[in-house]
Amino acid sequence: MSLDLTLDGQVVPFQEGETLYEVAHRHGDKIPTLCYDKRLKPLGACRLCVVEVEGANGPLASCTTPAREGMVVRTVTEDLEQHRKTLVDLVLSENPKGAEITPLRGLASQELAQLSVRYGSDGTRFAGATSGHPRLDDPNPMILRDYEHCISCYRCVRVCAEQEGDYAISITGRGFGTRISAEFDVDLQDSDCTFCGQCVQTCPTGALGDQLALQYTDLPEPINATRSICPYCGVGCSVDLLTKGETLVGVQPAMDGPANEGALCIKGQFAWEWVQHPDRLKEPLVRKDGELVPASWEEALDRAAAGFAQTAARHGRQSIYAVASGRAPHESAYSVQKFIRVNFGSNQIDNCSRA
Amino acid sequence: MPASPTDEQLITRWQDEPAPLLPLLHAFNERDGHLSRESLEAISAGLRIPLAEVHGSVTFYHHISDEPESRDRPRVCMGPICRLNGSEQLLHDLDGAEPMACAGRCDDPIPVLQADRGLVGRPGDELQQVPSPLPPPNPAGIEECCLANVREPDRAACSGYVRTGGYAALAKARAMEPEEILQVLEASGLAGRGGAGFPTATKWRAVRDAQGGPKTLVCNADEGEPGCFKDRVLLDHDPHAILEGMAIAGLATGATRGFIYLRYEYPQTQAILERALEEAEEHLDGFEFCVRRGAGAYICGEETSLLNSLEGRHPFPRNRPPFPVTHGFEQTPTAVNNVETLASVAPILHRGAEWYAGLGLGEHRGTKLISLSGDVERPGNYEIPMGFPLKTLLFDWAGVPEGRTVQAVTMAGLSGGFLGAEDLDVTLDEACLRAKGSFLGAGGIMAFDDRRDMFEIARQSMEFFASESCGKCFPCRIGTERLVERLGDPSGPLDPAAWTEEVRAIGQAMTQLSACGLGRSAPLITESLLRLFPAEVSGKLGAE
Ligand SMILES: Cc1cc2nc3c(=O)[nH]c(=O)nc-3n(C[C@H](O)[C@H](O)[C@H](O)COP(=O)(O)O)c2cc1C
Ligand code: SF4
Ligand code: SF4
Ligand code: SF4
Repeated sequence: MSLDLTLDGQVVPFQEGETLYEVAHRHGDKIPTLCYDKRLKPLGACRLCVVEVEGANGPLASCTTPAREGMVVRTVTEDLEQHRKTLVDLVLSENPKGAEITPLRGLASQELAQLSVRYGSDGTRFAGATSGHPRLDDPNPMILRDYEHCISCYRCVRVCAEQEGDYAISITGRGFGTRISAEFDVDLQDSDCTFCGQCVQTCPTGALGDQLALQYTDLPEPINATRSICPYCGVGCSVDLLTKGETLVGVQPAMDGPANEGALCIKGQFAWEWVQHPDRLKEPLVRKDGELVPASWEEALDRAAAGFAQTAARHGRQSIYAVASGRAPHESAYSVQKFIRVNFGSNQIDNCSRA
Repeated sequence: MPASPTDEQLITRWQDEPAPLLPLLHAFNERDGHLSRESLEAISAGLRIPLAEVHGSVTFYHHISDEPESRDRPRVCMGPICRLNGSEQLLHDLDGAEPMACAGRCDDPIPVLQADRGLVGRPGDELQQVPSPLPPPNPAGIEECCLANVREPDRAACSGYVRTGGYAALAKARAMEPEEILQVLEASGLAGRGGAGFPTATKWRAVRDAQGGPKTLVCNADEGEPGCFKDRVLLDHDPHAILEGMAIAGLATGATRGFIYLRYEYPQTQAILERALEEAEEHLDGFEFCVRRGAGAYICGEETSLLNSLEGRHPFPRNRPPFPVTHGFEQTPTAVNNVETLASVAPILHRGAEWYAGLGLGEHRGTKLISLSGDVERPGNYEIPMGFPLKTLLFDWAGVPEGRTVQAVTMAGLSGGFLGAEDLDVTLDEACLRAKGSFLGAGGIMAFDDRRDMFEIARQSMEFFASESCGKCFPCRIGTERLVERLGDPSGPLDPAAWTEEVRAIGQAMTQLSACGLGRSAPLITESLLRLFPAEVSGKLGAE
């Protein structure tokens, strides 16, 4: 049986279990949100996604309202836009610097800034106490904890629990005094945090920021994003490499990456500075008189082959041992064991992923 | 249990019990005087709850803390009525004392909570631990339901309860089909007395019909609304009536396990309930009920926040649907009912639906407990027929001090905002009060006479909502704070028109958009202040 509802005057189909937000989103509606991340269970915190449903007693949060047959739903009315403006004004009043934030901080960092433009909010209406409690003193080199910008949407806490399964951070306190912290407010490195960076990338205000990327704030060129695959392991997480001119300035996960849907681990997220590090190995080196000196590929491979042959001759074939890289896909791992078995007759083969 | 049990002994004692987090937190807190990092680590490991989450929840509640020696500090009630009685002075006089929100004894001297002792007194007095007051004698001889037997001597003991007709309704119910019980309740018109007024039979039928199990009962004894102390009188003086109501609810719904979620501020009540449970074992055959003491949070009276609290989760309210009747405690079908609702059940079954329905006036059915306090001569709990005139209650039953006029009363504790002198000819029922832009709710009424500064009372009220806002949703989390700021010392002359525009806009967003009843009703305070006392508001704004 097909299910339909009326969305802003159009009859549209939906599936059992969809929320009004999902139905509207699928039909191209740009309902504003701040606490929403499609990967997470909806929380219903920001209330920006409210819609009018005929027969309901007041506006409903579309992210937590299941679609039902025959509903008549309006997503944009004068009243709703008025409510949304009040909400954006309120949220900017607790975070008055929120209207401008560098996109280097994180993938979702522009969400509040964009809404401040859409609703003409500058943080002056409803002025009053601000709610943030910065932890800029957290010594970890990766995650900036600039909670002055925090608007208590709890996306960071939820992504850490629901996606990373880590529960490193939680909601402490109550009401306007709510803060985000690890247990007993310890530094992240003393908590269960794995530095996956997912909290950074889902934060809608840049309160959590990518410290490595922020080192490049002053480079004048515009930011370019190039879709790629993380080189570290066989999962194949999709990433966007951020560059300014010729300089790599950051990595962000791709929300539409089929293998990762916006997730990365510490390596894919933060371990990229080697790419342009002066110590990076750029050509083969061989040891001559105890010194490593540049060599041609031919010379280097000959030296390696001779070394293997000599070892096998002296200590027997089982003295050759291969460790395949965890970064290698199945095909390459297969080639490694084939190479070792066929060429040396050794079955001493392993993989580095033995954590 | 030894005097100073080890971590392991405490964990073993509780880890296989239902809803173990709260009692474990209290057990460690009692042993050490606070919740240390080591204790929370042991609890986190023992119950398999992430440490950051346990710590986050501890910081949510008012009365537990990781600060050394926090448990034994005296807490002094800062409810609106206690402030009139000098509680600020008492707070100042008591060494190391902390303020606490209304502790539900507005008909007594000022309550002071110290660990497991509930004391009362006035500045300069010796604080005393005394039983909570009984309701004033029935003023007009109008028939009561819940309070009918509460003044009988020894009623809180099982023997006294049985002597005065107790547990007869349960015996009768055991011989009835669940459907028959539901029909009696339905015909009686009994609706939730915790504030929302949802028909009790409909709720129970939904639990009965729901798939899955085991089904669960929860008696909501969190009574956190300022100016409300009507559940306390039943819990303290008629505990078996509540247990009997729960057992009948169990027969009607098919639930055999139940919790009584008791507010932290009623420590003596916990002992009373636990004794009642022990004494009533034979009557409660087939049921397993236990008491869980909250840890200080008004929002935990909201039923889904309560369920999260019981489950050991962060006590934010849940989104609905699904509703507790299908997905309640640990996702099982759950009936959450208020103390007064449950205490009405046995009399209804005993004396019949028609009897109960007939207690109301006109088309209204049944009775309602009203906690009346403030500037009246005889504060206390009164059981009124639904639809009863407020003026009769106020002026004839409770009495207003000679030479004073009532300028405002609150409704629903604080959640219904203020009614002014010109509104006093209302009748006490939802239809009439809603027409005035207020509501009856749990039935707390605080009276303020012409001596009182209503702007200041409004500020205190909003401060309560701000300090109890859970922080889940934006309009309430930010809005309550902004309204407190606007009601606080307005610095310098402000333009009343601009002030009013802001306060109205914030209030409207809160009423329309907040995720639960706290944020939706808090702006009734500012709305009614603006409606009733515009001159006072302008005066304050221009004054400084
Ligand atoms: C902020 C808030 C606080 C509440 N506090 C209480 C309470 O202390 N006791 C209570 O019985 N109901 C309270 N309620 C109502 C409960 O959510 C629920 O409706 C009630 O317990 C159901 O029982 P009833 O149907 O018997 O009234 C509160 C609701 C809200 C929104
Ligand atoms: S970096 Fe990952 S593990 Fe650490 S707090 Fe953020 S989401 Fe949790
Ligand atoms: S740090 Fe960012 S993601 Fe976390 S609650 Fe604050 S604003 Fe939301
Ligand atoms: S209205 Fe207030 S108390 Fe209720 S969910 Fe929202 S923030 Fe929490």
